Amino acid sequence: MSVVQQSFATYKENNTIEDGDLVVVYLARENMSIIRIKDGEYFNCKFGSYKHSDMIGLEYGTKLGSNTGRGFLYLLYPTPELWTQVLPHRTQILYIADISFVMNFLNLKPGMSMIESGTGSGSFSHSIARTIAPTGHLYTFEYHQERVNAAKKEFEEHGLSHMVTLQCRDVCKDGFNMENKVDAVFLDLPAPWEAVASAKKAFKQDKIGKICTFSPCIEQISRTVTALSDNGFVDIQMYECLIRFNEIRVIPMWTIEEAMEKQRAIEKKRKRALPRVLREPAAAADEQEEEEAKKIKIESADDSNVSSAIGTPSSTTGSEMDEGVQVKSETATPSVPSTPILSSETASPSTSSDPRERIDPKNVMVTRLPVEQRGHTSYLLFATFTPATQPPNLTQQNAAKKA
Amino acid sequence: MVNPSDIIQAGEHVLIKMPSDNVKCVVLNAGSTISLGKFGSFKANDIIGHAWGNSYEIYDRDNKTRVYHPDDMNEIDETANNNREIVDDGASQKLTSEQIKALKNEGLKGELTGEEIVNKLKESHATFDKKTAYSQAKYLQKKGKKFHKVFTPIKPTTYSLNEYFYIKNPAKIRDIRMDTLSQLLSYSNVHAGAKLLVVDDTQGMVVSALAERMGGKGTILGLYDGDSPHYDIVKYMNFDQETLNSIKTLAWGRIHRPVGEKTPDELQDVTQLTGKDLEGYHRRLKAYNIVEESRKILFEGDFDGLIIASQYQPESILEKLLQYVRGSRPVVVYHTYKEALLETSTWMRKSPDLLAPQITESWLRKSQVLPGRTHPEMSTWGTGGSLLTATKVIDFPVQAALTKRERLAIEKKNAEAKKLKRAREESEASGSEAVEATTTTADTTTSTTTTTSTEEESKEDDERSSKRVKQE
Repeated sequence: MSVVQQSFATYKENNTIEDGDLVVVYLARENMSIIRIKDGEYFNCKFGSYKHSDMIGLEYGTKLGSNTGRGFLYLLYPTPELWTQVLPHRTQILYIADISFVMNFLNLKPGMSMIESGTGSGSFSHSIARTIAPTGHLYTFEYHQERVNAAKKEFEEHGLSHMVTLQCRDVCKDGFNMENKVDAVFLDLPAPWEAVASAKKAFKQDKIGKICTFSPCIEQISRTVTALSDNGFVDIQMYECLIRFNEIRVIPMWTIEEAMEKQRAIEKKRKRALPRVLREPAAAADEQEEEEAKKIKIESADDSNVSSAIGTPSSTTGSEMDEGVQVKSETATPSVPSTPILSSETASPSTSSDPRERIDPKNVMVTRLPVEQRGHTSYLLFATFTPATQPPNLTQQNAAKKA
Repeated sequence: MVNPSDIIQAGEHVLIKMPSDNVKCVVLNAGSTISLGKFGSFKANDIIGHAWGNSYEIYDRDNKTRVYHPDDMNEIDETANNNREIVDDGASQKLTSEQIKALKNEGLKGELTGEEIVNKLKESHATFDKKTAYSQAKYLQKKGKKFHKVFTPIKPTTYSLNEYFYIKNPAKIRDIRMDTLSQLLSYSNVHAGAKLLVVDDTQGMVVSALAERMGGKGTILGLYDGDSPHYDIVKYMNFDQETLNSIKTLAWGRIHRPVGEKTPDELQDVTQLTGKDLEGYHRRLKAYNIVEESRKILFEGDFDGLIIASQYQPESILEKLLQYVRGSRPVVVYHTYKEALLETSTWMRKSPDLLAPQITESWLRKSQVLPGRTHPEMSTWGTGGSLLTATKVIDFPVQAALTKRERLAIEKKNAEAKKLKRAREESEASGSEAVEATTTTADTTTSTTTTTSTEEESKEDDERSSKRVKQE
């Protein structure tokens, strides 16, 4: 075991995985898990079996290949952000968009003390603890005994228990039982309005404080607004915040000219499939030469399927084709065909060379949002606690300064 | 015990929110009078020493201020009124614009309070009583924003300054919005004691936010181009000295000591200097030492994160700085334009040093919350910038040792080969019949083949493992 307990609130000095440490095992973005390193144990997944003893001594962030050589995983340092992605869900949890915005609005920083209720699965608690560490303190309340037990164990295991006080308590019924203690309050409760009066007492009375309530329904917001206003909170504001994850793609963009050229190439090939007697003699002679030049290019008549040709992305064959075209224009003099179909081709800009069947399109990089994404999490309601108008000690400080 | 940062201090930057909801940034010098334009002016001393959080009303003739408590929000009692009879002909208000101007002037002089003016306007409004209750409330609110003389000093914080600049001059901070910045802070896992490498071209908005979250513990090294770092916003934050000291800077052009650059001691012999020359020497020495210190911090590496909010191509910055970041640490790139991050994301995907790059955009909507009148605001913020995040990993694939079963299998194979070898030696020694010898030779050949194929396999494995740069 390491001498200093590893903590979610800060990184390890040596950044090295030691016996007893927590490691987030990354297989894919959607496939991560957290493990505690214990010499002699294994981490098993479908890509293979990994020995914990192989991880000991490695630096966090190392890529570890499986013994079969087929798979690998990354060993990451546990952070509150990763915890949100791997934690066992006991309740609905807060995600990065709401967590980040609330912390910013409440102006959380090292040294602050804060109330959170309820604790739930502890997703937000970890982020708060990291942000107010090392001197701040989090008072977190949860009325569900099982959840309290689980969260208590997690805070201990994650090196946060010295700065987190967890209580099993129904704050709506019994209040926080705290006075003049905190800088900020966060309420994620079914009936936050019932806890507002008690929260007011918990604020440090001679300084500004911020409260946030988190409710999915607008009716809950309505009632909370009234409670906040009745209890003297000011500057009531409401926000919604969502995050959108973009996926990058590269898509081909053929011009309409290129598409037409492709079509002409296909038509020409089709014509060649006609019996020789049905063709114009001059064109037939010309085609003989052409065929020689293009022998390599034309693979099968089946290629003439238009839709499949259009769907073909660019490949190296494109450049080979260009060479083929060059060879052709050197050997064969362009003839003036007399058939109506071919004469329409002469009118096109590319008279000197054959129409290309495979054309490298311009590729465009685009972003795409998922077909389905989060549309709503909760309404974030903020308000300000105003300090007592003239705290006596401040007046004295002021007078002393002036004198 | 009152924390100094909880009370309004003389000489600090303060944001003043006015009835119109506009915010003004002022320096609160002791003894000065702060003008709020049409809302009057107040004396700085009247609020210096007070706790943050209260609103003040300017009253009376001498710009006196008193703490102002807004009325409770009330549910609106619906009336039978509707707007059927109201014609928008501009003739409802019986006061002329000159009369209103006169009222305003009286208000400025302190002879009338804002409330009194609004009441007068209301009384002389011909159709006020015919308005719906909601419309009446809206009217009073609208007029209140014009004539009330209430202001609120707001403490400059990451959020309040970000909001102030985002609304006032978004280009200055490269359009980084409060929610995007908050996500940048989360993704960068900033905390007290961290050591961060930052390239900030948002006038110091990002550096300020990071510094606030570190509370003076740890180090921020900011790389800048030009003559000096443009961290304008840092000065608005009213940071204490400890926090200011945690912010170090280094010019891109000075990362490496220019060839032929001499130390101040090499340039001048300090023992021979006097007066102005000596002062100059000390100035140069100080500047030299600052650069040396920053270089040392950079070259020591082991950074806990790389945060880029630059106008320059992110890949070119990553190529230079990624080497100084520790394993399993975040790399966060902000850019005003999402499209500018697409190439960077592709570059990251190809880089073996970075894991799971992702481009995110944030969406933020504010709502009006009044009892019975809650709805999203009619206009919202369009752009807020984009983030590209990834994790630095160590591209030095470590091959896991064999599992117990595999090890046993190999040991078994080795033991068999040994046995076979021994058997062959024995048979050779005894000089047995030809038939037997042939069989042994055949056996040996087979075993050799097996060994070769195993070798080939392992070679293939090696190749595969070296090819395994990125599975994704």
